[in-house]
Amino acid sequence: MKWLIAQFRRRLVSILMLLAMAGIWQILSTIYTAEAVPGEPMVPGWQIVFSRTLLSLSDYWQGGLGVPSVAEGAPQSYLAALLSILDHSVDTIVRLYVGLLIGGLVGSLLGMAVSWSPWTRRIVDLPVQLLRTLPLLAMVPMFQLWFGIDFVGKIAFVGYGVGVIFFAGVVNAVKNVPQIYIDNARTLGASRLQIYRTVVMPAIFPEMRGTILLSLGIGWAAVLGAEYLGAQSGLGYVIIYSEQFAYLDRMFVVALIFVFYASISYAIFDRLSRRLLQWTPQAGRVVAHG
Amino acid sequence: MARAADGRDVIVASNLSRTFRRADRQMVTALDDVTFGIDRGQFVCLVGPSGCGKSTLLKLIAGLMLPSSGALEVEGESVTQPGPERGMVFQQDSVFPWLRVIDNVEYGLKCRGVGRAERRKSAEFYLERVGLSHVARAWPRELSGGMLKRVAVATVFANGANVLLLDEPFGAVDYVTKRNLHDVLLALWTEAGSTERRTVVFVTHDVDEALILADRILVMHSGRIVDDLAVTAPRPRTTDGLMEPTMVRHKHVLLAHLGLENLQGDAKAPTGGEGTEP
Repeated sequence: MKWLIAQFRRRLVSILMLLAMAGIWQILSTIYTAEAVPGEPMVPGWQIVFSRTLLSLSDYWQGGLGVPSVAEGAPQSYLAALLSILDHSVDTIVRLYVGLLIGGLVGSLLGMAVSWSPWTRRIVDLPVQLLRTLPLLAMVPMFQLWFGIDFVGKIAFVGYGVGVIFFAGVVNAVKNVPQIYIDNARTLGASRLQIYRTVVMPAIFPEMRGTILLSLGIGWAAVLGAEYLGAQSGLGYVIIYSEQFAYLDRMFVVALIFVFYASISYAIFDRLSRRLLQWTPQAGRVVAHG
Repeated sequence: MARAADGRDVIVASNLSRTFRRADRQMVTALDDVTFGIDRGQFVCLVGPSGCGKSTLLKLIAGLMLPSSGALEVEGESVTQPGPERGMVFQQDSVFPWLRVIDNVEYGLKCRGVGRAERRKSAEFYLERVGLSHVARAWPRELSGGMLKRVAVATVFANGANVLLLDEPFGAVDYVTKRNLHDVLLALWTEAGSTERRTVVFVTHDVDEALILADRILVMHSGRIVDDLAVTAPRPRTTDGLMEPTMVRHKHVLLAHLGLENLQGDAKAPTGGEGTEP
């Protein structure tokens, strides 16, 4: 209890800011009453979002688990809405994280290959640098034709989007590893593979933190981009489906769900990286205590 | 100037040269046709003004750099790359900040597949010898500059190198810390007994440091070895010992080589040719 109060006090300002943002939205919704189509306000107030909109998400429930879908003739229900949110979220999140994992791994390996030897540099550097410049969103339709509109196509797309960022991040970070640590490892008898595992990888991690955070953002954009064009499920599919009927409120709710998930993944990553970066002099640094 | 190699030598350099191409495309000779041999178990200091090639020579022995011409052998084998039998302590901090102190000391042993219990024992032993047992589990960032140097020294000793190469290791620490580090280093070096002592090559520009540490001082200038002094004073050497007549003479010679004073009295001319060999 004491801990809770302390947390609340510490975050008081942040909480107030959050409430203020919600308040401004509510005020906007009463001032600006224009509608996209009759009955669909451009700025849906919270009273709409938390009743009609939430309920309407049950339209995207495809049935099962003993909860009949709207398409089968059942009325809208909060249970179906909740299940539909979970169902579509799981699809999107799995696509996102499998893509992130594969893209991160492949991008990092290619990035390290650039500094591994003159030969690997010659083989890897130019092709990947060229691939990197292809505009991500322009590639969505091509990826769909190449890899299909199912799971593989989306994973490939997210993996590509994230992979090129990891590649650039790793190439740059490896350049900044102080030579002294590599020399020290060599004179202590480390092999090249051991140097990469025990010196290069830990040394680049502080710099890679920014890249990983960036790639989380790009990953979300990529998976939505992939779902916009040809998916039968996922949060991106819900958005694009809502757009056809100008259901602004539904899009807004899905956007809020994104914020929720993204915040969780940032928080988890932050905890994890803090653990891994205990050794840095900057651990827990604050520029000035107020 | 330095005597040529003979059968007992651990390190043998013959006509060793190293040139660099500077950014302005000028060729610079850092090491110019150097020939010498270093005895097993000897503590050798390389002294000279900055830019004289002493660090280049050390990097060549370490295998971090390859010669432009000439031959370099350690334990009868040509040096082509770094190896754990040649340990190095650098001028900058080389302790890995992402490993705890004890894991740093174990690092080389771990790389070579030494079992966990054995390498931990060795690391604990050398940490104790350099007086750092109490910070074994600390992060390097929590240590002072002098303590980090002790970690680096413990690491090369734990790694079992036969040849220790130290590149101005204590150049950046204060005087008191430096004297303590000399004691630590000499204690570790002497305790092996004169037959199993490790060979040490210690680069410095500090004349007193060289006189306290060395059996032999090689003086370098413009990429060449220009003098070779044998320091036979008994150990342990003290500040008082540095005031003995022979030591004072050595000091005059060294300072003259560094261009700090003109030779007076019975000190020999730096380019005189005979040196002060035994």
